[in-house]
Amino acid sequence: MRVFFATDIHGSEVCWRKFLNAASFYKADAVILGGDVTGKVMVPITEHNGYWQVVLAGETVRLDTREELADAERQIRNRGSYPAVMSPDELTELSKEEGAVDRRFSVEMIASLDRWLDMADGKLKGGEIPCLLNGGNDDIWEIDDVIDASPCVTFGEGRLIDLGGFHLVSMGWTNPTPWDTFREAPEEELAAKIEAVANLVPDMGRAIFNFHAPPYGSGLDEAPALDANLRPTHGGAVMKPVGSTAVRDAIVRHQPMLSVHGHIHESRGIKKMGRTLALNPGSVYGDGVLQGALLELDPKKGKVSKYLLVNG
Amino acid sequence: MATEALGDERPALFLRKATGLVRGWSVRDSMIYAVLSTNFVTLALFEFTFAGPAFPQGQLLTSVVISAILVSFLVVAYTGLIVTIPRAGGDYVWQTRILSSGIGFVFAVTGWWFILWLWAPIYGNILAVQFFEPLWATLGSPSGAAWFGTNNGIFVVTLITIALAGVLVSIGMAGYARIQKWAFYGGLIGFLVIVGLLLFNSHADFIAAFNQEASNLFGVNHAYAATNAAAVKAGFHAPSLGFGPLGPTLLLVPAMMFFILWPNWGASLYGEIRGASDFKRVFRGMFFGLWITTALVVIFFLLMAKTFGWGFYQNANAAYFNGTFPLPVWPYPFMFAGWLVHNTAFQVILILVMSLWFFGWVGTLFLSSTRVIFAAAFDRVLPDRAAEVSEKRKVPFYSLILMLLPAVGLGAIYAYWTTFRQYTLDATLVIAVTYLFTSIAVVVLPWVKRDLWRASPASKVKLLGVPIVPVSGVISIGLLVFCLVEWLSNDNYFVNNTSSLIYMGAMYALAIVIYLIARVVRRRQGIDLSLINKEIPVE
Repeated sequence: MRVFFATDIHGSEVCWRKFLNAASFYKADAVILGGDVTGKVMVPITEHNGYWQVVLAGETVRLDTREELADAERQIRNRGSYPAVMSPDELTELSKEEGAVDRRFSVEMIASLDRWLDMADGKLKGGEIPCLLNGGNDDIWEIDDVIDASPCVTFGEGRLIDLGGFHLVSMGWTNPTPWDTFREAPEEELAAKIEAVANLVPDMGRAIFNFHAPPYGSGLDEAPALDANLRPTHGGAVMKPVGSTAVRDAIVRHQPMLSVHGHIHESRGIKKMGRTLALNPGSVYGDGVLQGALLELDPKKGKVSKYLLVNG
Repeated sequence: MATEALGDERPALFLRKATGLVRGWSVRDSMIYAVLSTNFVTLALFEFTFAGPAFPQGQLLTSVVISAILVSFLVVAYTGLIVTIPRAGGDYVWQTRILSSGIGFVFAVTGWWFILWLWAPIYGNILAVQFFEPLWATLGSPSGAAWFGTNNGIFVVTLITIALAGVLVSIGMAGYARIQKWAFYGGLIGFLVIVGLLLFNSHADFIAAFNQEASNLFGVNHAYAATNAAAVKAGFHAPSLGFGPLGPTLLLVPAMMFFILWPNWGASLYGEIRGASDFKRVFRGMFFGLWITTALVVIFFLLMAKTFGWGFYQNANAAYFNGTFPLPVWPYPFMFAGWLVHNTAFQVILILVMSLWFFGWVGTLFLSSTRVIFAAAFDRVLPDRAAEVSEKRKVPFYSLILMLLPAVGLGAIYAYWTTFRQYTLDATLVIAVTYLFTSIAVVVLPWVKRDLWRASPASKVKLLGVPIVPVSGVISIGLLVFCLVEWLSNDNYFVNNTSSLIYMGAMYALAIVIYLIARVVRRRQGIDLSLINKEIPVE
């Protein structure tokens, strides 16, 4: 069985489209997206009398036709940002009113996700190709219900899912980050959440852990060391492990066949942890490149027979 | 949800709270990296010893300034790539992404891994002549000092250097980065002391001090005159300091690349939200680093001319180059400057402080090699074990073997085969080839990755409506091709001879063979390496 795993596309529409095409491109039997589906940036496009205006990469651009507007929106979406068309007055109000930006962000994220899931229906042959999506620590709670309602995509959080005879369990929570994001919990709480899903697995020899946070100190969790102002220290040359000890302990204790992670975009890699093959394909969503892992699972032997990290 | 607005009047974008939204690193940090990489003390002084005598009609000062101007375009080109594809893998990532997997692998492993085997003994030689030799000599053991210049001495110091760099790779950059910063500031203070010494002492003071200390330490009388005579006897006539004929001066440019080509050595960018300011920030770090080094060299040259006598400095290098220098050590200008104070403790401290330029720099010798080896192992081109890190000690054992053992072997060849020791510029040439392909990647980027280029802050940096990044790439290609042609056609660089070419050719052959074997072996295992960088269709 061939599985394609990617993660952390953060609203990049070009990466989402590639993810949907990955099954046919790599001849995969199932595709998994590991979390952090939504973007971090919203780009206002102001509507004026007969034209629109937007700042792209620091340069103010005037858009005179609907085609130019559509092209700008496409560029913004492809980089993982949300284009938000509004009047200059709306933009002024948005900046002033408490909570208004958050509300607009949520509207844009949900609308975008809805559109994405509509695209998925056609690409995944109406659910014929198993596709699993999960939230990550950066994803707002509202996306869970949207994904869960999709007819062709399965929401993974906290569930045991049969994947061609392999047992997949997912968790999008991470250990605390300096950004205080949505799905963060202290290590003890994470350990309890992991145990809750691990206890669902009937056979660890055929288990796949899909945990957003990578195991601490595994080399899959190396991020630039930051100072108190969130500025990389020493020119970004110093990296430090920022993964979860609860995830590491769970892998060491349960020894699943495979453990797939994301969260730390810079830390693309593969690590053998006893019997377990752990990996993080990393993410460069901003470049429009979908990094992922191609995994051949041997149903007879219950092991990962081949693996390859790809930049699709 | 926290929000942040950017822009002058109305917000240009909104950010919500999310992982990884970091601020750009300080320009000062990347500038320090660039100054240490284009190391004025370890690399530049070492190269001047050979370049001046090899091109006696060229003007060192002019060639350094011309080189810095030309390398500034390389800085622009690399800045363009860094802000467009900000990845720690640097050349490997850019070349594999923009050109092809095979090209990226071959030029990354040769330029960032294999050739570092040769840099190890070069580092060792520099440590011997700038640290051990002057230290032993100053402490009253001229024979001990001379030993470090012997074959055995060079080999032992190379082993020390390799061990030091290996340990630093094992313990990681966290602690070393702090040492680096302190080494930089300490080294600058040491240089300021030397500036003071050379500024406030006259030419006559120096001649007297040089003669006195050479007599005290080495028993050589009238060493100043003897040095000048030795150079003349070897047929060398020192040019005056200034702006001389352009032709011979341009021939010095490929030699200057030995130290000035590396302002981009440690450059990478983290953070995902790239704005217009990122280009300036990245550019400034490397550019200021390059020009600080250039300024230090110019100050050094002017002070040499004032206090040592420009002719003497050139003559000392030429005499050493021809094996006729009256003193049994490398003509280390900072040791000679220390002789202006007739106090052993002061002289020793000055040598120790100036050695910070070496110790703040040596840690990066194998750092890039580790990254390339890991990246190639994750791409399944190298065996998986190459990226293994021991559980207990967190030591990348196999990659260390792949770096250190060949370096030891090459260190032995370098130490015991004096002809091979002349191929110093091979170490620059191979990396220049890697830079050449990266420069080609810069030039084709707007066509090969159109959307990526359009969205990059680099595409907005224009002069008279023309984007300067690809243009800088073209100028960089011109510089690198000029250097390559000269290196490969002019005997004075000691690159253009059969065994040197065989050595470099063998490295490229090895890289190609590894890549081809990996393709075949992985195909037999059912793994198609061609998929690694094959783009998934969007529609």
